[in-house]
Amino acid sequence: MGFLSPSAVSFVLFVVVPTVGVLVLSLFQWNLLSAGRFVGLDNFERLLTDQRLRNVYGSTTYMALAILAINVGVGLLLAVLLETRMPRWLRGVFRLSYLFPFVVSASAVALIWRFLLNKDFGVVNFWISQLGLDRTDWLGSSAWTPISIIIVASWKTMGFSILVYIAGLRAIPNEYREAAVVDGAGAWARFRHVTLPLLSPTVLFLVVINTISAFQLFAEPRVLTQGGPGDASRSIVEYVYDTAFQSFDLGYASAVALTLMVLLIGLTTLQFVVSRRWMHYT
Amino acid sequence: MKRAIAVLVRYAAIVSLTVMSAACGTAASPAPSSAGQPSTPPASAASQAPAASASSAPLAGSLNIAYWDYGPAAETGNKAIADGFMAKNPGVTVTVTPVAGENWGGYYANLATLIASGKKPDMAFTASEGIKFLAQNGLVVPVNKFLDSDPSAVAMKDDIAPALLQSFAYAGDITAIPNGWNDMVVYYNKKLFADAGLPEPTADWTWDKFRTTAKALTKDTNGDGKTDQYGFTWTSNEIFPGILPWVANADGNLVNDDVSAATADSPAVVEAVTFLKGLIDDGIAPAPNPMGDIFTAFQTGKVAMFGGGRWPSATFLANGFADWDIQLYPTGKTYKTVAGAAGYAILTSAADQNLAWALQRYTVSPEIQDAQIGTATAPRDSIPTLRSTADKTVAAGIPPAHGDLFYGSVDDHPALTPFPAPAKYSEYEATVLRHLQLIFAGETPVDQGLAALQQELTTIIGK
Repeated sequence: MGFLSPSAVSFVLFVVVPTVGVLVLSLFQWNLLSAGRFVGLDNFERLLTDQRLRNVYGSTTYMALAILAINVGVGLLLAVLLETRMPRWLRGVFRLSYLFPFVVSASAVALIWRFLLNKDFGVVNFWISQLGLDRTDWLGSSAWTPISIIIVASWKTMGFSILVYIAGLRAIPNEYREAAVVDGAGAWARFRHVTLPLLSPTVLFLVVINTISAFQLFAEPRVLTQGGPGDASRSIVEYVYDTAFQSFDLGYASAVALTLMVLLIGLTTLQFVVSRRWMHYT
Repeated sequence: MKRAIAVLVRYAAIVSLTVMSAACGTAASPAPSSAGQPSTPPASAASQAPAASASSAPLAGSLNIAYWDYGPAAETGNKAIADGFMAKNPGVTVTVTPVAGENWGGYYANLATLIASGKKPDMAFTASEGIKFLAQNGLVVPVNKFLDSDPSAVAMKDDIAPALLQSFAYAGDITAIPNGWNDMVVYYNKKLFADAGLPEPTADWTWDKFRTTAKALTKDTNGDGKTDQYGFTWTSNEIFPGILPWVANADGNLVNDDVSAATADSPAVVEAVTFLKGLIDDGIAPAPNPMGDIFTAFQTGKVAMFGGGRWPSATFLANGFADWDIQLYPTGKTYKTVAGAAGYAILTSAADQNLAWALQRYTVSPEIQDAQIGTATAPRDSIPTLRSTADKTVAAGIPPAHGDLFYGSVDDHPALTPFPAPAKYSEYEATVLRHLQLIFAGETPVDQGLAALQQELTTIIGK
């Protein structure tokens, strides 16, 4: 118990208390400066009629699912490729390249991408123009801004997924693959029937972690597009932040934050339940 | 028990706010504003400065000042003011509290969080945009009584353009004496004008003339069929250097006379936004970008003109780029200066309001104001409030050559009134920008977009 107390104290202080605080705040109308007014469930009623909230959840879900799919799918592909035969130094270069964006500040990364993706002055459109194609409005059109966010956020976070996948791949005993080879299994069959099932706990871990982090997207849309145009690339966390610290509506912001918490708990639970059907342990 | 629960709930609220704020508060580039930013007196200024207070009695006590920590210069400037004041008044201790924020709105939010957490500074650096927010929440002490009892205040007020004090007025009171300010002017690249064979613009240019000029400056320099050099652009992340000068010169405003209602769908606003949208549609202007990106585009010759206050000067000159000048915005139906100020407001939590007033007065003293001019290679990012000081700027060899237009604009022309900043300024500005994004991206027609904006602003301003 003594060993647990430091983490228990920090858990209570920084998780339990803020959660309770948000729960309490959601029942109040409070602008930080005046005395709060108890409004019961009014803030939750407002959730049902907030059209912007629906739009923002729509854009967040679109971006989050795409980022999740890329991180889990493309991340796996790249991790497997990195584990194929190649000079050690080259493998180091690739690993460093993929991991580097993950350790850099999200805001700094987004600022650089903002310059790269600028419609009229950006490097990306310069090269697109060299191919004879029209400039793409990466950061200005409702169709392209979510895609830009997906590209940047995936590029930023995929290194973590690759790292975890590599650890998972290395934990699979070679004997299984060798046995499959003896049985005449080809590369795809070995991957499909040996590697992937044994990697399933890693996949579940990454699905859960990436789902949570993708729904908490903030810095990339904030810096790249300010959530726009309109709400086309606005994330739900941005909406919570703006409601709390732009509109000074702490009560409603707390209610919105709780919807995200409930959504993520629900999704995580669902993922664990569904995973029983495809999860394999060695 | 009830008290214990209340304390617990309050603690929970503060911790959750802090966690929320910390989680969300990324380091976006600070957005400049209509207002000024604190001046940094030279190291020797403090020892040379005369007594700050009108009273001959030595001052004593302590002051804590909250300021917007927009970058390293903010800390330097505010500490210098604190040090200067303490050097003049050895019995006084001044501490400064940095408050983060991605823009003025973020700063006010964090300032409110600071106050809600129980830390109550005596003074807070503030801009015209935040005056109603502070006043309506009962946070700011009007300075009328101090001005009335200060014999030197009359001369000081005469040396300040009325519009600057007006931008700090609330319900007939003056909430603070600003110590710096900015008005919106057009920056132009002199080389690009010369290359195009165009004369440099004059103050009497009109919207039509402006448009013709901007079109002539728009070029495909490498012959690939795509524009590489645009005539004009404006920022996507602020309304003061964005649409407001155009709205003002169309003889409109975004709010009504007592800032109690929005007027975003008025004919003047429609006219201004339609004009700007036309520049994009005709390829004369790119889609609006954040101000930081515009600085880069202007310095590299990709944009010939843009709008801003004095603050871009420091960036350009620090980078060795001096081939530019300024001109007033072109005249539409009328000409109105769009100006905003900044200064050190006395908060109602101040333990010694007289001491706080002495410090506020010190920030408008000639030595601090003189320091605000800066140097030819490092001009300050706002204009001195005192006219007598600002008038020395061009004579001191500090670019731009047309620098007299900064103060001349607010002295010689009517200012946009009322100052279009409702109490919920941050939400209001974000809402305007959100709708303009859709309009300028061509995804919503101007009239429909402004009608939707009007509807939303009505809710925000009416709250």
